[in-house]
Amino acid sequence: MITLAHVNKIYQIDGEEFYALRDINLEIKQGEFTAILGPSGCGKSTLMHIIGLLDTPTSGTLLINNKDITKLDDNELSRLRNEFAGFIFQQFNLINKLTVLENIMLPTIYSAKKYSYEPKTRALELMDRFGILIKQKSYPNKLSGGQQQRVAIARALLNEPKIILADEPTGNLDSKTGKNILDLIRELNQKEGMTVVLVTHDREIAESCQRHISMLDGKIV
Amino acid sequence: MNKYQSLITIIKNSVADLIRNKLRSFLTMLGIIIGISSVILLISLGLGLKMYIQEQFKALGSNLIIVMPGKMMSGGGASYQTAMMSGFKFEEKDVQALKKLDSLNTVVPLFSRVLDIASDKENKVYETIVSNEEIFDIMNMEIEFGRLYNKGDVSKRKKIAVLGFGPAEKLFGSAETALEKNVKIGNQTYKVVGVLEKKGGGGGVVPSIDDHVFIPHTAAISFNPGRKFMALYARAADEQNIEQTKNDIKEVMLKKYSDDDFSISDQKELLSSINSIFDIISLVLTGIAAISLIVGGVGILNIMYVSVAERTKEIGIRRAYGATRNDILVLFLTESALLSVLGGFIGLIIAQTAVLGIKQFFPAYIDLTSIILALAVSWSIGLIFGVLPAVQASKLTPIEAIRRD
Amino acid sequence: MSASYQHAGRQNRLKQHHMGILLSIIKTSLSDFDRNKLRTFLTSLGILIGVSSVILLVSLGVGLKNYITEQFENLGSNILIAMPGQIFGGDRQMTGGNFSGITFTEKDYLAIAKVSGIKAVAPAYVKTVSVSFEGKTEIGSYYGTTAEIFPMRNLEAGYGQIFSAGDVEKRKKIIVVGPKIAEKLFGNMGSFVGKTVKIEDQGFKVSGILKSKGGGGFGGPDFDSFLYVPYKSSPKINQEKKFSVINFQADSETVIDTVKESVTALLERSYDEEDFSVIEQTQIQETVTSIFAILNGVLVAIAAISLIVGGIGIMNIMYITVTERIREIGIRRAMGATRRNILSQFLFEAVFLSFIGGSFGLIVSLVIVFIGSRYFPLAIDLMSVVVALTVSTTIGVVFGVLPARKAALLSPVEAIRYE
Repeated sequence: MITLAHVNKIYQIDGEEFYALRDINLEIKQGEFTAILGPSGCGKSTLMHIIGLLDTPTSGTLLINNKDITKLDDNELSRLRNEFAGFIFQQFNLINKLTVLENIMLPTIYSAKKYSYEPKTRALELMDRFGILIKQKSYPNKLSGGQQQRVAIARALLNEPKIILADEPTGNLDSKTGKNILDLIRELNQKEGMTVVLVTHDREIAESCQRHISMLDGKIV
Repeated sequence: MNKYQSLITIIKNSVADLIRNKLRSFLTMLGIIIGISSVILLISLGLGLKMYIQEQFKALGSNLIIVMPGKMMSGGGASYQTAMMSGFKFEEKDVQALKKLDSLNTVVPLFSRVLDIASDKENKVYETIVSNEEIFDIMNMEIEFGRLYNKGDVSKRKKIAVLGFGPAEKLFGSAETALEKNVKIGNQTYKVVGVLEKKGGGGGVVPSIDDHVFIPHTAAISFNPGRKFMALYARAADEQNIEQTKNDIKEVMLKKYSDDDFSISDQKELLSSINSIFDIISLVLTGIAAISLIVGGVGILNIMYVSVAERTKEIGIRRAYGATRNDILVLFLTESALLSVLGGFIGLIIAQTAVLGIKQFFPAYIDLTSIILALAVSWSIGLIFGVLPAVQASKLTPIEAIRRD
Repeated sequence: MSASYQHAGRQNRLKQHHMGILLSIIKTSLSDFDRNKLRTFLTSLGILIGVSSVILLVSLGVGLKNYITEQFENLGSNILIAMPGQIFGGDRQMTGGNFSGITFTEKDYLAIAKVSGIKAVAPAYVKTVSVSFEGKTEIGSYYGTTAEIFPMRNLEAGYGQIFSAGDVEKRKKIIVVGPKIAEKLFGNMGSFVGKTVKIEDQGFKVSGILKSKGGGGFGGPDFDSFLYVPYKSSPKINQEKKFSVINFQADSETVIDTVKESVTALLERSYDEEDFSVIEQTQIQETVTSIFAILNGVLVAIAAISLIVGGIGIMNIMYITVTERIREIGIRRAMGATRRNILSQFLFEAVFLSFIGGSFGLIVSLVIVFIGSRYFPLAIDLMSVVVALTVSTTIGVVFGVLPARKAALLSPVEAIRYE
């Protein structure tokens, strides 16, 4: 589904070039659960941001369903972000001034897609499934960490994305809650065939995934 | 979601944002409120004054033609003063000559002077109009109590006077009691035979048509020893043919006077002169008031930059979930436009309230154009002064925005 | 050490202490402005716009006043005018013209000329006429007068010469043409001295063309537009030798009042006191000046509204600044800063923003006045500068005090905890 070929991400710092990603070649097939493992600074988050279309490679190609997305303009990229990928962040990144329901419904505002379902119904279903239905009118800062992450997951799922990208989703959670979240994500992959790419620095988590890749200093090792 | 629904959501969110930051939103709107209300207020004063004077002239009818000494309208400033200084030249004979014209219905000579008018109780100063009996018809004045003076009175040089509603009240307490009493004009005594209907208008600063006193010109020799008149008022028989009528008058006048000694104007010319003068005045005043709108806009600009900076992370999140650059642009433009339009609306209401109060003392009028102008202008200010920050916001890449603290 | 010496020492330390605080306030403000360059700029921009528009309008007023004064001074000094009707009512207010039809006679003119304290008398008969030259006809103002009008009103010949008293007595049919009307009739003016123009079928030889005086309008007559003819030379135009107005000039400023009284008394013998008035030229000047001053005042007041809006902008930004720096305030308080220190800090920033805006506004208007004064009546006086700087400082104080107070009243412990 997703192919990266010779992808580099170079930053200019104080006149010197810094390679966040160095010649990345990677293929992610539909339905796979891939974990990307590495110490902090190894470039795993950068790789994630590129796969999730939040950032663009400095050089190299990124193919999604055999279309070269480096050739797309910003509007087309935005559409992909809306319909193709669902992002889950370590810091949850909910908008604190919107209610839980409004946060989950956020992708619908920017969607040009023809819905075969009623978005609000789906939102309520997801909330129910994740056990946060009663919190729908609350504000994110009133929820626990685990609840907030679940809101984030529901938001990511609202537009039926083809791939879920989770950047250290359990990083801000205690171990029990974290495990619950991981189980949730695994369920999405196993029961619904959702393609998942997960970034973590925790070896245990990585090895429990179907496929894991290690990174160091911008390269896949 | 379709475009319409998302816009509604955006607006709802913006309103919620504004309410959450009450003080900030209020202070930002205040600039626009002050600007719009002062602009609208000034426009309404100008408009009110203009309409008032137009009303006065319109009441005289569109078939009114005025013959004045000198060339007032052309030749520049010197001619105006020359006209003033060259004295008055029209005579009773001119009235007779013009009366022979078919194209004129009525011809009335006019002389006026501000004189001291005294009853046994009070004395006040009023403009006294000296003319013949047809002046009342020409000026559309109707009698309320008593009677107007007529042709007979004029030829008999009767020392009688007709008072406007204002002088009657002020000098005698009430209009009715003025009848049959004597007034001293200059040092001559005249008997009040009639009081005119109240016409209203003006009041306060602007003089009213009710504040005049009328006497027959034959009885005004002591004020007008030369028996000359300042102007001739005439009513054209055919409104459609004013130009032709003016030419007829010119022909008659040229028999006695040289072309530069007099000028003929019709109501349309006078009205358009008034219009231009007021329009210019209005424009200048409004232009200056608009400066405060610009300053208000600068305030919006400043605050929007702050808003964008504060919401950088939110921008990143929205972009991560599919918002395009345009969506972000619209998000912030909506906020600035909302602030501005609300400010304009409130400013309009304040101006309207002020106008209702002022109307007692001074003519003021808000018309539909002003309202539309107010709303359109405040809308534009929101857009113009909101666009730069909104564009800056839209240019943020998702990753930059999300990474921001 | 004596007590006074200790006291002096303490005074010095206190002074240094205060200086130190002031310095740190300035440093903090400057670094804050530097960090938020755009915000600082936009905030002071409002005051800049407000101050410069107010100053520009004020300088327009000053410039107009100077221009009017100049114009009137140009028309001759210590001049009085006898005219028909009343322009000023009882208590010196313009009643908008109370016209009477009287005209002055030659007798009046000669009688006034005899009044002591009068330097010169120039009566004038003014009438709109058509004047033609070689087929071209224009409308102009005939000004039948004596030769004294020229020195009295500082009128000089640009081409040719003005006529003399002798010319008047000899009833010479000559004419001195004002430059404005000369331009309309002749175009290029130089070569027309000696030619003949016709006024109402009477021919007059052009003896001279006046140098331009400018002015006119503003209630003063426009001497550039008149056709000056010796009054005795045109019996057809002015059969009865009447005059619309009599200009006369007093010997000096000190005798103006007595001259006015004498002439008034003299004329009252022939005319009703309401039928004429004797006015000093300075009265007209004052009236015109005050009308313009009022109009200008209205405009300035309207412009001043923008200053208030600018101040509101400062208040808004200062509130935001305070919120952004709550933690910093808490830390400072924890280190011993008093409420007053905090208040001073933020008040200073507001005043500084305002003052910078006002100063630049002043500079901008100075530049505009400097460039614009070639085309428009604009003039800066020292008062404007002082007022501008004072007002902008005041705005900073007035609109900055509330946010500064809010900052000062924050409890230190809550401030430090603020997320």
